[in-house]
Amino acid sequence: MNAEGLAYFAAGIGAGLTIIGGAAGIGRLAAAAMEGIARQPNAAGDIRGAMIVAAGLIEGVTFFALIVTMLLVLLIPKG
Amino acid sequence: MSEHTPNPAEVLMHHVTDSLWYSLNVGPLHLQITKHLVFFIAAAAVVLIATRLAVRSYREGGVPTGVGAAVESLVLFIRDEIAETNIGHDGRAYVPVLCSFFFFILFAALIGLMPFSSTSTGNISVTLGLAVVSFGIMQFAGIRKYGVVGHFKNLIPPGLPAWLLPIMIPVEILSVFTKPFALMVRLFANMLAGHMVITVLLMLIPLMAGINAAFGLAVIPVSLGLALFIMLLELLVALIQAYIFTLLTAIFIGMFAHPAH
Repeated sequence: MNAEGLAYFAAGIGAGLTIIGGAAGIGRLAAAAMEGIARQPNAAGDIRGAMIVAAGLIEGVTFFALIVTMLLVLLIPKG
Repeated sequence: MSEHTPNPAEVLMHHVTDSLWYSLNVGPLHLQITKHLVFFIAAAAVVLIATRLAVRSYREGGVPTGVGAAVESLVLFIRDEIAETNIGHDGRAYVPVLCSFFFFILFAALIGLMPFSSTSTGNISVTLGLAVVSFGIMQFAGIRKYGVVGHFKNLIPPGLPAWLLPIMIPVEILSVFTKPFALMVRLFANMLAGHMVITVLLMLIPLMAGINAAFGLAVIPVSLGLALFIMLLELLVALIQAYIFTLLTAIFIGMFAHPAH
């Protein structure tokens, strides 16, 4: 249970939690988009465009947390 | 003789981060030509060449062909769907900047998918430069219409009770800076993450071969298939990230040029 091992462990858990939040958000978004397209097929183009923009934004936020996790891993002092 | 076999983390970082190619001294300047810089200039050159070829194809009659038709469809998309929808009637003045962002980010990402090249937007300095230009355009849009004082007064939403002002003023000033910061980190992380995943998947082959040669051979089709799939996804991500950067810049320009009154 040395400090370096714990640091790597923490970064791994951080990455996992990050992806849970991001994937949950985008999953809900995709479900709502599918439902909208099913109700009105001729709005499919607009819904698809809005879905992609929203997915890009949510993924951007996920990447913020991912950058923090990567910084944690890279800044662990050797030995 | 000691052989330094790099561990996987070092190989990964070597592939996705910058590396010095050539160093030259011009007078008092110490210029370092790095890999990302070379491909940054290559992407800019491709943008210039593509648009020059597109303009040239307009000469024989008004209908463009080939490169001109492709570039025209993208520029029209940016003008109609992104600039005029979000900025309004004076959106046309910002179409060149938005087109520059879109084409540069797209071509930088596409060039980065070729072998032995690197995505220049996967370097935080490049995306910082793009974000600074975006920030400058946003402030320019507001200041041009309302003057410096008017532009900062427009930050505060109307109809706000006076006791909220001490909270809202720092929040609004901070949001002026966090918007381009988010643009920067989003683009950087998307480009970097894609290349890291591809590199890791391809590094599985020597890693597995280190355990057992048969494992190495068995993992080759899996690794190549997954890497190919991720590269196809990277094509899509390149388009989406270029679109999102341009769209968000246009939305923020619209927010500063036409604030809710």
